[in-house]
Amino acid sequence: MTEPHIFGMFCPFCRDCLAQGLKNRYDYLDGLMIAQSCLHIRQAYTSWIKHRPVEFDKFLCMPHKVQSPHAYEFLTEEYKVFKNEIEEWTGKKINDKDLENSIKIYNENRRLMRELYNLRKRDNPPITGEEVMEIVIAMQMMDKAEHNKMLKEILTKLKNHTPDRQVGSRLMILGSEDDDTVFMNMVENCGATFVIDDHCTGSRYFWNEVENGKDKLASIAARYIDRIPCPSKDWEERKRIPHILNLCKEWNVDGVIIMQQKFCDPHELDFVAIKKALEDAGIPTLFLEFDVTVPIGQFKIRVEAFLEMIGEEDLF
Amino acid sequence: MAEEVFYAGIDVGTSYIKVVIINRKNEIKGYYVERLSSDLQKSINIAFKKALDMANISKSLINHITSTGFGRENISFKDGVKTEISCHAKGAFNYFPKKITVIDIGGQDTKIIKTDKEGKIIGFKMNRKCAAGTGSFLEEIAFKLNIPLNKINAIALKSNKDTSLGSYCTVFASTEILTRIKEGEKVEDMIKSAFESVVKRVIEMDTLEGNIVLTGGVIKYNNLILKILEKRAKVKIYTPPNPQLIGAYGAALFAKEAKD
Repeated sequence: MTEPHIFGMFCPFCRDCLAQGLKNRYDYLDGLMIAQSCLHIRQAYTSWIKHRPVEFDKFLCMPHKVQSPHAYEFLTEEYKVFKNEIEEWTGKKINDKDLENSIKIYNENRRLMRELYNLRKRDNPPITGEEVMEIVIAMQMMDKAEHNKMLKEILTKLKNHTPDRQVGSRLMILGSEDDDTVFMNMVENCGATFVIDDHCTGSRYFWNEVENGKDKLASIAARYIDRIPCPSKDWEERKRIPHILNLCKEWNVDGVIIMQQKFCDPHELDFVAIKKALEDAGIPTLFLEFDVTVPIGQFKIRVEAFLEMIGEEDLF
Repeated sequence: MAEEVFYAGIDVGTSYIKVVIINRKNEIKGYYVERLSSDLQKSINIAFKKALDMANISKSLINHITSTGFGRENISFKDGVKTEISCHAKGAFNYFPKKITVIDIGGQDTKIIKTDKEGKIIGFKMNRKCAAGTGSFLEEIAFKLNIPLNKINAIALKSNKDTSLGSYCTVFASTEILTRIKEGEKVEDMIKSAFESVVKRVIEMDTLEGNIVLTGGVIKYNNLILKILEKRAKVKIYTPPNPQLIGAYGAALFAKEAKD
């Protein structure tokens, strides 16, 4: 479907996004926007708006070098332009009160998610990694205030909940975009539980909050500049690795599954250093490369062998 | 004297079913190798029965049965399950109790498993989504050349020429071989280049450390691979007696441990 428009060696996630766009599966959208993350998804976006034009489209120039001292100011200015464009399109002014209210709702959402994740530190986590993935995906699609309401209900239920299932090996899953609940389910039925993740569509999406400063747009910009970086923005200082090691420690992780989106160069390059850092810390890793379709049988044998390997270590 | 007891390992691989029966001293008392068929249950039952016959015992004397391989869940009478990664490491380590790298070339997958000097697995690699460098690759080449699979090793041994193929891909490689034979290359040189291709694919999968142990059905019938691998990796390569049985043997050792 996407072959005439973007390269075959672009990651399957962005090819899938574009394919769905071209197939008109999102024909209910009035607008489409993207912030700079990588070339693959950016070109998927460009092709999408070219072939399926929408009323409002926007490429937001998120600075690539987030560690530059100018990044905060740059992004703040970009947000101002973006805000004006939205106001013009909708015919509605966005004032500081609106922004503050929105920041409050978003921050609450992030805080509640952190609370949910903290419950997974328990020896017997009250929720599986698969279930958490569903919640994180929902978080990115539905109204935040509504999500908050549901999260509060779940948290109340989970506080005193002790599930009747074997925890097995405590795993972390890390990588880029990943919404593969089938894979999560398969692993968690092999004698393991995912207790933490470092996915850009997982914990990295909500980990830090916006500090509610005087200049609202500058506060939002600072949040995005200072967030846990993805590999394409994690330079010159490498900040993601200490963060991952810390997650492993706090969530008491036995092993890490690294899910590599096929053809995602930033993640593939980062993998080498991450694997070394984890193994130096005594944490075994399993590297799996996935496409939009996951070869579940082939992955199962690798996962089971990995769990046997970790299990063997428990004896010592 | 207490009645002797036995343990069985059944390795349901992607091409063959291997059954190994051992006694308390880890000695193989019975084994059988059966080609996979469309009736998996029937093939498993045949292989198990033949191995029991060879050991000259009845099923009731088997204390524990561990299954492994891609069809490990299909054995209705199993007592336990282990992955083929653990079983190959276990079986190979029993023959070579030191820090080893096991290279297992199977019907549809190739594994590289590393252990420490205690036999504990420290890492493993498997071929990803492609069966280049496995038994299926050689099967396809033999099929395209219309040569029986059990003849290719002997034919390739006649070759004195160093030549290689342009692609690991099974489909492209067989087309290339046919084209080059048409252009005057000798069949034995082309089959040898297919063996070279398998070895090259294996070597690029991982670094080879410690003592290298080669296992799997492909080695049992094609010892030329061992020679090529030794030449390319520039190290001595070890292989256990009957390398095809190592997964099943490892499973039998696990079965014994489960009951000890």
